[in-house]
Amino acid sequence: VSELARVRQVSRSRFLSVDLLGATNLVATIVMYLSAAMLLPIAIALGYGESPWPFVLSGAIAFGTGGLVAYLTRGEHRIGAREGFLVVGLTWLAAAGLGALPYLLTGEPQLSRPLDAYFESMSGFTTTGASVLTDIEGVSRSLAMWRQFTQWLGGMGIIVLALAVLPRLRVGGRQLLESELPGPEIENLKTRIRDTARRLWLLYIAFTAAEFLILSLFGLTGVDERMTVFDAAAHAFTTMPTGGFSTQARSVEIFSAATQWTIVLFMIIAGANFALLYRAFVRGQPRVAARDEELRLYLGLLGLGAAVLAVELLTENVLAGEAAVRHAVFQTVSTVTTTGYASADFNVWPVLTTMAIVGLMFLGGSAGSTGGGVKIVRHLLLGKILRRELDQTVHPEVVAPVRLNGAVVDERTLRAVAAFILLYIGIFVVGVALLSLDAARTGVELAPLDAIAAAATTIGNIGPGLGFAGPMGSFEPFSDVSTVILIGLMWFGRLELIPILVLFSRHYWRST
Amino acid sequence: VKIFLIGAGQVGTTIVQALHDEHDVTVIDLDPTRLEPLSYRYDVSTLEGNGASRRVLAEAGIAAADLLIACTSRDEANLVSAMIAKAIAPRTTTIVRTTNPEYLEVWREGQLDVDFIVSSEIETAHAISRTIGVPAARQTDVFAEGQVQLVEFDVDEGSSGTIVGVPLREARLPKESKVAGIIRGDSMTLPRGDAVLRPGDRIVVIGSPAAAQAWSELIAPGSGKVRDVVIFGAGRAGTAIARQLLDQGIGVRLIEASPERARAVADELTEARVFNSNGIEPDFLERERIGEAQVAIFAMRDDMKNHYAATLAKIHGVRFTIAIVHDPPAIEVFERAGIDVTINPRQVTAEEIVRFAHDPRTQQVAMLEGDRYEVLDITTRPGSEYVGKSFAEMPIRGGLIGAIVRDGRAIFPRGDDVLRAGDRAIIFTESKRVVEVEQAL
Repeated sequence: VSELARVRQVSRSRFLSVDLLGATNLVATIVMYLSAAMLLPIAIALGYGESPWPFVLSGAIAFGTGGLVAYLTRGEHRIGAREGFLVVGLTWLAAAGLGALPYLLTGEPQLSRPLDAYFESMSGFTTTGASVLTDIEGVSRSLAMWRQFTQWLGGMGIIVLALAVLPRLRVGGRQLLESELPGPEIENLKTRIRDTARRLWLLYIAFTAAEFLILSLFGLTGVDERMTVFDAAAHAFTTMPTGGFSTQARSVEIFSAATQWTIVLFMIIAGANFALLYRAFVRGQPRVAARDEELRLYLGLLGLGAAVLAVELLTENVLAGEAAVRHAVFQTVSTVTTTGYASADFNVWPVLTTMAIVGLMFLGGSAGSTGGGVKIVRHLLLGKILRRELDQTVHPEVVAPVRLNGAVVDERTLRAVAAFILLYIGIFVVGVALLSLDAARTGVELAPLDAIAAAATTIGNIGPGLGFAGPMGSFEPFSDVSTVILIGLMWFGRLELIPILVLFSRHYWRST
Repeated sequence: VKIFLIGAGQVGTTIVQALHDEHDVTVIDLDPTRLEPLSYRYDVSTLEGNGASRRVLAEAGIAAADLLIACTSRDEANLVSAMIAKAIAPRTTTIVRTTNPEYLEVWREGQLDVDFIVSSEIETAHAISRTIGVPAARQTDVFAEGQVQLVEFDVDEGSSGTIVGVPLREARLPKESKVAGIIRGDSMTLPRGDAVLRPGDRIVVIGSPAAAQAWSELIAPGSGKVRDVVIFGAGRAGTAIARQLLDQGIGVRLIEASPERARAVADELTEARVFNSNGIEPDFLERERIGEAQVAIFAMRDDMKNHYAATLAKIHGVRFTIAIVHDPPAIEVFERAGIDVTINPRQVTAEEIVRFAHDPRTQQVAMLEGDRYEVLDITTRPGSEYVGKSFAEMPIRGGLIGAIVRDGRAIFPRGDDVLRAGDRAIIFTESKRVVEVEQAL
């Protein structure tokens, strides 16, 4: 105990101006509560006559470790804006660790290596949907459902979940929430943090339930013969978080057209701003949503992307009729919303189409959605910034505020948007370079476009890449070093780069 | 009538000038040096003291007042004077001068217990829009704080065939507007749907500012509308002018020297182009082609700056210049320099106050053709025979309702709209029938 007191002293000394113990304590507490998530796979295991013990054990380990660390670091802490970044970053690393436990403990041979298990878990919580599994249908029912469930938990955000249920986070929670919520911070959250978090989760649960019911109904009524209640739940769990994990080796290709169209609809909803959805569906103000600039651009880009793909598919005679339109729409929506399902193996489509899909990977969902990537609103604002730049080149004295939905966006936010996009591209380029170098070093065959797709799909939390990592393939061939890089990209992408990057700056840790 | 006037500045002096003959005027001001010349020149009583003090007002005999005009340069002092006067003498009519358009807005929504509020900025803006607002108009005027416009046009051979020679109900008239009167030779008719416009007619149109522009284009196609107005100075006056012009669909560029102010105005006025410049650098004027502007308005605080900038703009080729002049003697200087129009905000404000003070009950707001026709702004009383009737079934009796103002917002009624008690009706009528119209409402 005296040793610990000394550490505490150091952590509070003037050399380290972040309350390290306080942050650790909070992360441990969140992990402890998160262990309750194991109840779902335990129930599934019991229902299907599989062994529940791996999940019980995982839960116990998480609860025990979290509890012990929380106990050791108990005491007076100050969790402020500064500690928030660390808490968010660590929580996501810890959550992925917790998620990996069942993969290791069930003895699933495809996930027996800890790094692979961690990759799969990080891909789950960050709602990426990239997988190292080569035989998805070979894993047990309970483990498959756990895999889907991690995406559902990660979709709305672990911190948002914690805020909704943990009473001690009532103070200082805003910073935590802002670090985790996707999109630039434009609209001030005027209501209480806790209410906001609860509302978002309720809406999320409601849409998930709706999708589950519709898909189950398709299965039960014979509209889709391949759809079971298990699959309905599994896909409902991974559509709303824009996750993209499937229980099927060939993703959603095997399901009927009706199912695919339904999933398209829910992906579009999942990629829209939840605050807008709340106003439209709960408060009954669809007009406000219809006038939103970001939503209009989002839907417009989806339409444009789908049209381009459809024309390419039709003119190159890859597909015909309704199928061409459906797969074009599906693939566009799946990529832009960063879900990552595949209704067809676009890996074998002509190169022009695959390049278009890689291009779509850079759009991202809306701010305040569960989607990842750059986000539509950032593209919108960047466009406005550039247009103003041109204006001011000709008219140096002109004062032209940038507006979004009629309201002026302050210059700091605009700078942050430009910085984000630069960083995003920078990190993506570094990722591509490292993946290519490592592939050359280890002799893995990775074409340039495949390396680009792999980096873009992980930093954007989308899922499938190209080549061996394509929609029907697996990330398994990547070397260990590459796997670590990909894990890092997913982590950076999910938390929108900056909250993680500040952890690597000197100014974060020191006062001087 | 017993009138109390708080504030003996420029506005106060102008008002005294207009009212001292017929009325019993008492002027209150803190500054004795301003009161002295007034008491020598006009037959008024003066009192040195704070007009926002209850003691001073009571001493002056406010209890017997019919009208209180608070026109100092301090908005809040004016409001306090009016409130105290109302408390002591509830039947006094109060007029308050303000420089802040927000008070005007609050008053319009009925949250200030004052009978009439005049904003120098808004009056100045109205004066300017009367000058340049509608190119084809013979005469224009604005009501309901700029939301309703009255325009008089001469219909001629060149006017658009879509409105001339066809019955009004079939003509494609601009939305939110009404032909309130057709003057043909010596007689005036209040038109119904079957009336037909002919070349040589003089017509009176009541409508929204945008509709007035549309009418202008129909009456004289190609007269175009004013597209490019440059306003120098984005203070309260400049901003109020810009807003008024933008409401009429006129393109506005604003030039402001202070970066903070420029930013604030750019945030506020979505449709205006705002430049951060002092407006007197030849490079800037050249690069932005200021000389090609149709009208330049100089609304900076400093007369000398306005004078210099206006002269420079003239050199750069601006055809029509309007300057806001604060110091009355400067007006001549501006005119000598070839500035086309000068507007003194205090003069405009004083005139508006005098207009209201002459007859506070009916708001006779405009006269046309000498004094043969009038436009009235009357608040309908609950017992009126017109209340509850739709406009289609309302008998025309000497007047025509062109617009109504309900809860501070202008409505241009159609046949199925219903008049409610408390609506402010903007009515066009012949002067000899004013009494009849007033009684009906």
